[in-house]
Amino acid sequence: MINETNKIKNDSESKLIRKRRDRSNFLKLMSKDKTAIIGMVIVVAFLGWSAIQGLLEYLSGYTGYSYLSYILLPSNPFHTVLADRLLAPSSKTVWMWFGTNFEGESIFSRMLYAMPRDALVSVIVVFSAIAIGAILGIAAAYRGGWLETIIMRLTDSFLAIPALILVIAISIPLRATYSGVILGLSIVWWPTYTRFFRGQVLRVKNMDYVQAAKINNVKPRNFFIKYLFLNSIDPIIAYAALDFGNVILTYSTLAFLGIGLSVPIPELGAMASNGLQFLPADWWYSFFPGISILIIVIGFVLVGDRYQDLINNRIDY
Amino acid sequence: MNSALILYIIRRTIYAVVSLLFIITIVYLLIHAVAPSPLALAKVYAGPGHTSKSQLLAIIKEYDLNAPLPNQVLNYISNIFHGNLGFDPSFHRPEIDLIGRYLPRTLELVIPALLFSMLLGLYTGAFGASKRRKAGDQVVKGVYLVTWASPPFLVAIFLQVFFAYDLHLLPATGLVNPVLLTPKDVTGFPLLDALIAGDFTYFVSLIHHMILPVVAIGLLSFGIITRLTRASMLDTMESEYFKLGLMKGISRKRAVYTVALRNASIPIVTLLALTFGYAVAGAVVVEDIFSYHGMGWFIVYAITNLDYIAILGTTIIIAISIIIANLAADILYGVLDPRVKLE
Repeated sequence: MINETNKIKNDSESKLIRKRRDRSNFLKLMSKDKTAIIGMVIVVAFLGWSAIQGLLEYLSGYTGYSYLSYILLPSNPFHTVLADRLLAPSSKTVWMWFGTNFEGESIFSRMLYAMPRDALVSVIVVFSAIAIGAILGIAAAYRGGWLETIIMRLTDSFLAIPALILVIAISIPLRATYSGVILGLSIVWWPTYTRFFRGQVLRVKNMDYVQAAKINNVKPRNFFIKYLFLNSIDPIIAYAALDFGNVILTYSTLAFLGIGLSVPIPELGAMASNGLQFLPADWWYSFFPGISILIIVIGFVLVGDRYQDLINNRIDY
Repeated sequence: MNSALILYIIRRTIYAVVSLLFIITIVYLLIHAVAPSPLALAKVYAGPGHTSKSQLLAIIKEYDLNAPLPNQVLNYISNIFHGNLGFDPSFHRPEIDLIGRYLPRTLELVIPALLFSMLLGLYTGAFGASKRRKAGDQVVKGVYLVTWASPPFLVAIFLQVFFAYDLHLLPATGLVNPVLLTPKDVTGFPLLDALIAGDFTYFVSLIHHMILPVVAIGLLSFGIITRLTRASMLDTMESEYFKLGLMKGISRKRAVYTVALRNASIPIVTLLALTFGYAVAGAVVVEDIFSYHGMGWFIVYAITNLDYIAILGTTIIIAISIIIANLAADILYGVLDPRVKLE
C-alpha cells in the first residue's frame, strides 16, 4: 500500500490514469486526510438528503398529495401555530431543535425542506458552466486567432464584475423568480471555466498523443471529447467541487437580498434575512439557517481542496 | 520609465477600455433579451406601480427606445460617458447624483477593508507557511476556510450580535450618530468633509460606525490572500536567498517576515483587483445588515423597489471602478516585476 502510494506520488500522469481505472484506490487516497472525510460525509449527506427530499417534494406537487412533501421531516414546515411563535431551541422534540420562527413554524423542518433547492441550483449552474466553458475554452485554445481574442476579451469582461452584482442586474428584469435566478447564475458563471479549459487545452494540444490522433484522423467528435475534453478535465473537477459551494453561497446571498424566492417556500438565505429584525433576542432565527449554509459550503471546499492536492501531488496539506 | 513599461501600460489601458465597452453592451443587451418591445422596456424603466400609457411613451421618447438596437447601445454608452445614467423613478432625482452620494461612503468602507484583509492575509499566510504542517498552520487554514465558506450575512450578523448587542462596544447600525449635525458637503466623502469642517465628534462617530462593517468585509475577503501568500511563501522559503539569509545569521522570524514575505508579496498585487471585487460584493450584504447607507444599501433598496434604472446604473459604476482597480493592479505589477512586460 505504502509502496503504491509512493509510486503514485512520483508520477502524476500515471496516477491520473490509475485513478480513473481504479475507483476504490481513489477513494482511499481521498480519505487519507481526516478533513476530507468530514467534507465527503457532509457533501454526501447534503446531496443524498436533497435528492430524496427533492423527489418527495416533486411527487407531492405532481400528485397533489401534500403530506408526501414532509413525510420525512420532523414536522410540517408550513404548519403555523401562533402560540408557538419564537420558541427558543430545545432538545425536547426534534422539531424544536432549532426553535421556531415568527409564524410558529419549526425552523429545523423548514431548513430541511429548503435544501433541495440549493442543491438543484448548484448542480445546474456548475454543470452548465462546465459545458459552456468547455465549448468556448476548447474553441478558443484550439482555433486561436481572432476567435480566441474575442472569447477571451468577453471572458475577462464578465470576470471583471463580481458574479453577485451581475446576477442582480440580470435577474431583476427576469422577474427575479427561482428559474430566473438559475438562468442569471448560469449566464455569469462560465468565464472561470472558459479560462481553465483554454489553459488546459493549450497545454495538452501540443502533446504527442494529440498530434498522433490528428495524424490518424480520429473522428472530430471523438477527438474533442476524448482527447481534449477528458484530458483537460481533472483540475477542473477539483475546482468544480469547490464551486458547488460558491454557487450555494451566491444563491443564498441573493435569497437573503430577496431575489429568487417563491413566497411560501422556505429558503435558507431568506430565513436568515427574515430573522434579522428579531436579532439580539431571538438569535436562532437567523443563526441556524446561516450555519447550515456554512457547513454545506465547507463540505464542498474540503473535498475540492483535497482533490486539488491529490492532482498537484501536494498530498501533505 | 522605459519604453517597454509605457507600451505595457498602454496595452493594459486599451484592454481595460475594451472590457468596459463589452460589459456595458452585455448588460444592456441582456435587458433587451428580457424586454423585447419598447413598451415592455419602458415598463422596466418606469419601475413598479401603475404607469399610464402617455408616461410610457414619454419614457420611450426620453431614452430613445424606438431606435435600432445598435444605435441604442451607442446612445447608452455615450450617455454614460456624459454622466447621464437616467432619472431615478423612486427618488425623483438623476441617478448620477444618487450614486455620487452613495459611492464615496462605500469606498470609505471598501478601501480600509481591503487594506485590512491584505494585512491579515499577508500575515496569516506568512505565519502558516513558517509553521508549515504544525498546529499553527492548521489553525490558520481552519480560520480562513470558515470565513471563506461562510455566507456574507453570517459573518456580519455574528459581529453585530457579539460586539454591538452583547458587549455594547460599537454601534449596531447606521452611518453616523443621527443626533449630530452633518458638516458641509465639500468632497462627498463624509470622513473628509468632517475633517475639513473640523468637526471632531462627527468624525469619531463615523469611525465608530465604520469599524464593524470594515472588519466584516475584510474577514470575508482575506482567505484568498492567505492562500496565495502561503503558497508563494513556501516557494520563496525554498529559494537560495532565503537560505543565505538564514546562514548569514539573521533570526528565522526576521528572515520569514522581512526577506521572504517581501518577495512573496509581489504576486499578491494581482489579487488586489479580485479582492476589491469581493469586497464590493460583500459590501452589498454587509451594508444592508448594518443599515449603512452606502452603495450596497442603495442596491438593496433598488431591489426591493424594483428600481431597474438604479440597479443598471450601480452595476455600471461598480464595473467601472473594478476595471480601474484592475488596471491599477496591472500597472503596479508591471512596475514591481519587470518580467511581466515581456509577455
